[in-house]
Amino acid sequence: MRFRTTLSVVAPVVLALGLAGCGGWDDSSSGSGGTAAKATNCTNKIVHEDAKKVLVWAWYPNMAKVVDNFNNQHTDVQACWTNAGQGQPEYAKFQTAISAKKGAPDVIMLEADQLVGFEIQDALVDLAPYGANEVKKNFSDGAWKDVSQGDKVFAAPVDGGPMALIYRADIFEKYGIKTPPKTWDEYAADAKKVKDAGGPVFGDFGSNVPAVTTALMIQKGAQPFVYNLADKKNLTVKLDDQATKDVLDYWGTLSKQGLVGKEDQFTTDYIAGMVGGKYATYVSAAWAPGYLTGAGVGNGKDKGKFAVAPLPQWDASKPVSVNWGGSAFAVTSQTADKAAAAKVALGLYADDASLKDGWQTQTIFPLNQSVLKSDDFLNAKIEFFDGQTVNKDIYVPAENAYKGAVYSPFTVYYYAQLQAQIAKINQGGTTGSQAATDLQAQIVNYAKQQGFSVQ
Amino acid sequence: MAVETPVSAGTSVPAAPVARGGRVRRRNAGWLFILPFLLVFAAFLVAPLVYAGYLSLWTKGLATGTTFAGIDNYTRAFGDPSFRKGLWFVLRFSVVVIPLQIVVALVAALLLDEITGRLARFSRLMIFLPYAIPAVLGALMWGFLYSPTFGPIEQIASFFDVRAPFLLSQGNVYYGLLNVVTWQWSGYYMIIIYAALKGIDSSIYEAARIDGATARQIALRVKVPMVGSALALILVFSLIGTLQFFSEPQILRPIANGSITPDFTPNIYAYELAFNYAQFNYASAISFALGFVVFVAVAIFMVVTRKRGSLFT
Amino acid sequence: MTRPRHVWAKLLLLALCCYFLVPVWWVVVASTKNAEGLFSGSGALWFHGFHLFDNLHALFTFNNGEYLRWLGNSALYAFAGGLGCTVVSVLAGYGFAKFRFRGRNLVFALVLGSVMVPLTALVIPTFVLMSKVGLIDTIWAVILPSLLSPFAVYLMRVYAGASIPDELLDAARIDGAGELRTFWRVALPLMRPGVVTVALLSIVATWNNFFLPLTMLSSSKLYPLTVGIGLWEQLASSNNGGGQSLWNLIIIGSLVSIIPLIIAFLTLQKYWQGGLSVGSLK
Repeated sequence: MRFRTTLSVVAPVVLALGLAGCGGWDDSSSGSGGTAAKATNCTNKIVHEDAKKVLVWAWYPNMAKVVDNFNNQHTDVQACWTNAGQGQPEYAKFQTAISAKKGAPDVIMLEADQLVGFEIQDALVDLAPYGANEVKKNFSDGAWKDVSQGDKVFAAPVDGGPMALIYRADIFEKYGIKTPPKTWDEYAADAKKVKDAGGPVFGDFGSNVPAVTTALMIQKGAQPFVYNLADKKNLTVKLDDQATKDVLDYWGTLSKQGLVGKEDQFTTDYIAGMVGGKYATYVSAAWAPGYLTGAGVGNGKDKGKFAVAPLPQWDASKPVSVNWGGSAFAVTSQTADKAAAAKVALGLYADDASLKDGWQTQTIFPLNQSVLKSDDFLNAKIEFFDGQTVNKDIYVPAENAYKGAVYSPFTVYYYAQLQAQIAKINQGGTTGSQAATDLQAQIVNYAKQQGFSVQ
Repeated sequence: MAVETPVSAGTSVPAAPVARGGRVRRRNAGWLFILPFLLVFAAFLVAPLVYAGYLSLWTKGLATGTTFAGIDNYTRAFGDPSFRKGLWFVLRFSVVVIPLQIVVALVAALLLDEITGRLARFSRLMIFLPYAIPAVLGALMWGFLYSPTFGPIEQIASFFDVRAPFLLSQGNVYYGLLNVVTWQWSGYYMIIIYAALKGIDSSIYEAARIDGATARQIALRVKVPMVGSALALILVFSLIGTLQFFSEPQILRPIANGSITPDFTPNIYAYELAFNYAQFNYASAISFALGFVVFVAVAIFMVVTRKRGSLFT
Repeated sequence: MTRPRHVWAKLLLLALCCYFLVPVWWVVVASTKNAEGLFSGSGALWFHGFHLFDNLHALFTFNNGEYLRWLGNSALYAFAGGLGCTVVSVLAGYGFAKFRFRGRNLVFALVLGSVMVPLTALVIPTFVLMSKVGLIDTIWAVILPSLLSPFAVYLMRVYAGASIPDELLDAARIDGAGELRTFWRVALPLMRPGVVTVALLSIVATWNNFFLPLTMLSSSKLYPLTVGIGLWEQLASSNNGGGQSLWNLIIIGSLVSIIPLIIAFLTLQKYWQGGLSVGSLK
């Protein structure tokens, strides 16, 4: 009986070590090699059965149409699509597949700020040899820079989020704000004016949107990260420069004085606040109107009351355009047929029909210049904004002026630390400047732990 | 609790050789009965566990590759302020939530065992229902119920002209979670105790009643001790589960305005490390470190209740 | 004389009921509201228009009826996984409780020890192991691990130990019954409340399982309801686009997903009346 007990203990141990030994786990920084998941179980229908099937993970709400459009237009490759999660959950799945060297899709939808983290693990394929440069002309400089590393191109841009200021025209009118603030100083002054007259808070300094805060830091001239994939081990981190401190102090002061809200965004409470006019402005991106409409804002008693103005600047004579969000299609290194996958990545959501559906249903703000230059798009009167031609006036110029940003190889970690600092500021536990200093220390420490040589 | 027939009772069977053969056959049968379980256990618990343990001995940097780290990950884990902070929270949370859940469950089960009729049947379902509600709904549901904008707490408070507390704020999140967990899990434990109560032969109650015991006395002096094993089981697993606290705080994070941090509990911290920061090796070490703490806690519990030898019998 | 005594007990029970009922009531009320009603700031616990049937219609037609597909998947996983787990656990619990074999306590202690490490540590290794045998993104990736429940085994051990007198088993063996027959004819009926409890808890646990299918599956066709609704939740939280407010669907979808569990509960609860009385011994 002793033997049986021993066996029941030893056998699984041997099994596990055997599998380990078989190299089932290779956590080296090289994520290349490995097998992608099979392109079966597609949510969509395959039109040409004998074409090469490419597995795509994406979460666009209108993806079914997009994939159908692509499959109808191509006979040599077919996209097999499934929604593997939106944002972070999809990245977690992707990371698991990378670590296990199995199960990644051929083409994956990624937000621009996540690309570097996967590039450094050799999990993405450079698309330049597969025709990426042919589509370069379709995108603004900023949009292209976000997906490139020097000459290498790791994803095909689809949509973006140039930032602007959405505001409640009725509240502005009620409290005597004749024109939307053009500078941040004006913004603060307007906020005080509204509060003193007993009005609602002017905006919201939410901790769960660290991408916004980072964009605003960049707007003032901060350069949080400098990183070049060609020089893998070197990283420059600058989170405690004066620009960053100024921006965090600015918002920290507004929060402390009760001039802006402290609530997290994208919650049901926040939506209710938007509907009820709790926030006079919403510093947001071009996809915000679509999000708000879908969430039920602008449909009831708040119908027709929203308008949008360019994002306030620190220096009105030197305007800087910034971006929040946006996604692209990348090809994973686990794919068996890079050329086919690249074809899908570069072609999906790039045809007129899909793009038109995308912006007309307010699903995305497309980055493709064919849309941004088209009359339809520019002259569209957006119902959410009571007929304002927001694309022509605000969002397209903002996108064209966008210069791109540099992201760290550990965006998720960085965002989490920034989020904690903002929450602390809102709770009164720290000041903006102190938060910047602490953040710098945390990130540098982490980077060193990960083996980077930090400047 | 059935009286365990001592092994020697086997000898009361007439022929000695048959008895011995019978005992051996019986023992082998025992292995056969647990075999299916052992197979799944080995495949889905032991093998991954050993694998994870093996991985926890290595370390991976984003810029460097994977290198052997020995116990470095563990020394780092036990000294990690995030780990310690999370540990402190689950410890002081366990101390309150476990007795609370068990008491509620026990009271409910005893009541349901005593009372029959429609109220009892309805209550049984109602108390069980929270466990059946999928956790994914939790964030939305508690988001509305705890909402300072349109929650019932807020409405009641405004009726009395008082500012309603936000139960997931920095200071209140302990209580907010206490409520969520008690609500979610008491029914689960109640069902278990209830089933154990239903297994008791009711003739014992007759005897007690003849002796003049009241219903309450029967409940406390007869029923509770007879479900002692089930209670001990629930206590241990509740302890393990609470120290490994993950689901409820993780689900409520989006609506807690930042008071539930990525290192709120050790298990959440391990999850973040593994899935969001791509640091699976260190995450494994954190998990095993937590497992060690759980082991110590359970060991202490067993010593304190003197169940060292035969747990659950 | 019993009536007055039970008054306090009934009041207490009623109070408990209310406590547990409030959030459930919220789900019911919220599922009759449309998006505007949900966010209009009206009371969370009272009605605001009645859109239950609109919501139901939207629920079953959204995205080509993917909800129904997910419902089917959940049923499959809960049936195969939950019942399978019950069978495995009942057999094992009985084995641990009623047989004294060498190494029993050691194995039992090992089982207890191994649940002390949180499951988060096991997810990726299980993923790796499953992908090695090519089962990732299949129904087996969800069903097979669901068969494992150390807690259910423990529970069955307690129930088996408490409800089956050894004398009955010995009597059957003396009569010449084999072990399996003894188990089937004598032990199982006695353990009925325990078996039913474990079955119920396993089915609910598998039905509501979120983390395991989330990791093992990436094709939305195979998702159970929990992961599917979770997907909607992600969509609702960020980029709704396309007009349909998903918050309603999430609420009504969750409400509908509870109904099979309620049915299971109501069906199984009649088995809670105790097993065969001990009087059959003599």
